[in-house]
Amino acid sequence: MYRSKLEQCLKRVQKPARYIGNEFNSIHKMWTPDIMTVAFCFPDVYEVGMSHLGMKILYHMLNEREDTLCERVFAPWDDMEQEMRKEGIPLLSMESAKPVRDFDMVAFTLQYEMSYSNVVNMLDLAGIPLRARERTLDDPFVYCGGPCAYHAEPLSDLVDFFVLGEGEEMNSELMDVYKTWKASGKSREDYLMEIAKIQGVYVPSFYTVTYHEDNTIASFAPNREGIPQKVKKRIVKDMDNTYIPEKLIVPFMEPVHDRIMLELFRGCIRGCRFCQAGYIYRPVRERSVEKLLQVAEHSIEATGYEEMSLASLSTSDYTKLFPLTDGLLAMTVDKRINLSLPSLRVDNFSMELMEKVQKVKKSGLTFAPEAGTQRLRDVINKNVLEEDLIRTAKIAFSGGYNRIKLYFMLGLPTETETDVLGIGELAQKVIDAFYEIPKEERKGRSVSVTVSTSFFVPKPFTPFQWEPQNLISDMEDKARMLKNSITNKKIVYNWHNSDVSFLEEVFAKGDRRLGEVLIQAQSLGCKFDGWTDFFDYDKWMEAFDLCGIDPAFYAHRRMSHDEILPWDYADIGVSKEFLIAEHERAYRGETTPSCRESCMHCGAAQFGGGVCFEKSKS
Amino acid sequence: MKSRRVRFSKTGMGKYISHLDLLRCFTRAIQRSGLPVVYSQGFNPHQKMTFALPLSIGVTSECETVDIQFEDWVSDAEIMEKLSANLPMDMQVLSVGDPTPKASEIVAAEYRMEAGYNGNIDKEQMNGFFSQTEIPVTKRTKKKGETSVNLLDYLRSWEITGITDTGFCIRVIVDAGERNLKPELLATALEAYLAPIEITEWDITRKRIFVCPDGETLSEFC
Repeated sequence: MYRSKLEQCLKRVQKPARYIGNEFNSIHKMWTPDIMTVAFCFPDVYEVGMSHLGMKILYHMLNEREDTLCERVFAPWDDMEQEMRKEGIPLLSMESAKPVRDFDMVAFTLQYEMSYSNVVNMLDLAGIPLRARERTLDDPFVYCGGPCAYHAEPLSDLVDFFVLGEGEEMNSELMDVYKTWKASGKSREDYLMEIAKIQGVYVPSFYTVTYHEDNTIASFAPNREGIPQKVKKRIVKDMDNTYIPEKLIVPFMEPVHDRIMLELFRGCIRGCRFCQAGYIYRPVRERSVEKLLQVAEHSIEATGYEEMSLASLSTSDYTKLFPLTDGLLAMTVDKRINLSLPSLRVDNFSMELMEKVQKVKKSGLTFAPEAGTQRLRDVINKNVLEEDLIRTAKIAFSGGYNRIKLYFMLGLPTETETDVLGIGELAQKVIDAFYEIPKEERKGRSVSVTVSTSFFVPKPFTPFQWEPQNLISDMEDKARMLKNSITNKKIVYNWHNSDVSFLEEVFAKGDRRLGEVLIQAQSLGCKFDGWTDFFDYDKWMEAFDLCGIDPAFYAHRRMSHDEILPWDYADIGVSKEFLIAEHERAYRGETTPSCRESCMHCGAAQFGGGVCFEKSKS
Repeated sequence: MKSRRVRFSKTGMGKYISHLDLLRCFTRAIQRSGLPVVYSQGFNPHQKMTFALPLSIGVTSECETVDIQFEDWVSDAEIMEKLSANLPMDMQVLSVGDPTPKASEIVAAEYRMEAGYNGNIDKEQMNGFFSQTEIPVTKRTKKKGETSVNLLDYLRSWEITGITDTGFCIRVIVDAGERNLKPELLATALEAYLAPIEITEWDITRKRIFVCPDGETLSEFC
C-alpha cells in the first residue's frame, strides 16, 4: 500500500536507486498467512549495508527455510527520511515495501557503535515502541547480532534480546521456537524464556543491575530461575559445512564493496592487543581450498561480478594461500575477473604473492604497522619488525609500486613523544629504502608514502579494555606534533579531528543507563554518526546533559581488573584471566606468539575446533 | 564478430536505474549468461556495448536498445533466451536483431506522460498551453552550460489522450538525439502553466524512438 507513495518520494531524493530493490538474486516471497517474517535491518545506508557479508549469509539462509521469509531494511538517507516522515510513510522493507512493524522479527546487525543512533531512529521511523518493555503482542521482537552485540549494553532497554556470536545456526533456532510459540498464544515473556535456553541468546530484561555510589556496577545477576549468569557465544565449528550463499544479490548502484567476498577463515591467530576482532572471533577456523574454489566458481556464475576479494581478518595467514590463489587465478584470469587481496601483513609479504595479485590488475599497497617504535609495537603485540617493513617496501618498489600507505594509531597505552615522532621516522625510512635500490631496479621515478593516523579506542574483550582513552585534545596535540615533525614533501600525513572516537569509546564501554541517552539523542536529531556530515558532538553532549550522565566516566576512567564490567555477561570463550595476563605482558613490553607458534591457553579451545586442534590433526 | 541490437523495456522501479548503473547491470547480466561477447583490446578490456539514447532517471521505457558485439556463431534466439534469464525483473528483452539504422540517425522520441492532480483541469487549459507562441525553458548541457530555448521548437506533435478529474494523459513527439528535449522539461513547463493546480505525480514512458531517413517522414528506429 505504500509502494506508490514511496515511488513519488523517489523523484525528490538523491540516489533513488538506494530504495528500489528488485536487484538480481533478491528474493521475493509471498506473504502467506502462516509464513514467519524477518526484517533484517542494517543501521546504515544501502551502499554500506550491501557491502556486508554477514547480512548476505543470514538473508539467504533464512530465505532457504520454507516457513520463513527475510527482507532487507536499510536506513534511509536524511533526504528520504524527511520525505517519508512528511508523507507519513513508515520504515519499509526493500523486497515488498511492507512496514517493518508488521514483521514478526526485526533483526539489527551491529557492526560499529556509531550506528546505535540509527537503530533508534529506524525503530522510531518504523513506529515500533523504542523501549522493549513498552512492546505488546502486536509488536515485533527486536533483536541485535553482530560484533557489537557482545557489549551493546547501551541498547539493552531497547532490544528484546541479543544473539552473541555467529548467527548461522542461532537464527534458525529462533525461528523454530517462534513457530511453536506463535501457535501457543503465550506471552512475549514466554518466548524470551524459551529462547534464553539457546546458547548465545542474551535477554537483557532477565538481568538486574545495581550500582555503587561511584557509578560502577555493584551486581549484575539474573532475575529469573534458569537464566545463566553468563551467556556463551556461538560459533560455527566446521567452516566447510555451513551455509555459504552463492546467489548473492547484485546491486544496481555501487556499494562500498562491490565484489564477491570469499571468506577464507574466521578469527585471527595474531592477538594484537588493541584488536577486538582478534579475540571475539576465536578460535581461527579455516575453510578448505576445495570448498573455497567451489564457492568462488558458483559465485562468479551466479553474480557476474568482475571482482573478487579474499575477506578475512589477516588473509595472508591462510595456511594454503598459494594453492588457493593459484586455483583462483586459473579460474579468474580468463573471465577477466580481478582478484584483490586486502589486509596483508608485513612480515609474510612476498614477491610471489605480489605477482599473483598483479597478474590481473595492480592494486595499491597498504600496511598497518600501527605504532611508530618497536617498543610500542611490542606493547600492542603487533609483531611487525621495522626490517620486515623495509624489506617488504623494497620488494614492492622493485615490483613497480611507488606509493605506499601506512596506518598508525595515536593514543595507545604507554605512548610517549618518541613513539609519536617514530611514526614520521618510520615513513622516512621507507622513503630511504626506495633510494637504496639501484636506479635500474626500481620502476617508479619517485616515491610517496601516505601516513594516516586514527585515535585509539580501547575496546571490550581486549587486554586494553580496562584502559582509559586519551583525551581527544591530547591526541590532537600528538597529531600536530607529528605533523610538524614531518618535513619531507614525499610524505603525506592525513588525520582528522575526531570527537567521534570519544563517543565510540563511550558506547563501546557503556552500560544500560546509556539507553535513555540514545533515545534522547535521537529525539534531538542524532543519526548517521559515522558520517562527518551528520555527526553533531554538541547534540550528543546535550543528550548526556539532559540525562544527567557524564560520558567521561565511561571513556576516561581506568577500570580495575576486579571491577564488574558492563559486558561481563558475555562469554566469548577467551578467559578474563588470559586478558589480564596479556594486559600485564603489554606493560612489560612482552610479545605473545601467534596461535600457530604456541598456544597461550586463552580458553577458545573449549569450542572444540579450529586452530586449537590443528597440531593434533597432523 | 557481429553486432546485435537488443531491444528491451525498463519498467517499474527500473526507472530509477541510472545510465551508468544500467551499463554495469548489462555487463554482469552478460557475464552471468555466458554469452560469447567480444572484449575491447587494451589495458582494461571491457565488453563492447552501446546504448542508443540515454533515458532520464524516473522515466520508464518500452523501446530501449543496446548494441552488443558477439561472436559470430551465437544465434539471436540464444541471445534472447540467455539474456532474458539474466536480467533483473524490471528489464525485459523484447527482441534481438540487426543494428540498423545507426543510433546517430535518431531524430525524435515519443513519450506518454500521465499526470495526477487534485483540482480541475479541462481540455481548454491544455490546448491553451500548447497554443502559446513561446514556452521558454532552460536546457542544461555539458558543453554550453545553461541555455534558454523555446520548448515549442522541439515539439513535433502532441495529443491529449485522456483527461479526468484526477489526471490527464498526453502523447508527445519531441526532438531526440543530437538535438534533444528531455520530457521532464515539458512536465515542468506544464506544471508552471497549470499552477496553482498542483500536479502530485508524473508517470512518463518512452514509447518509440524515430529516425527520419528521407528528411520528412518519421520511421521507427527499431
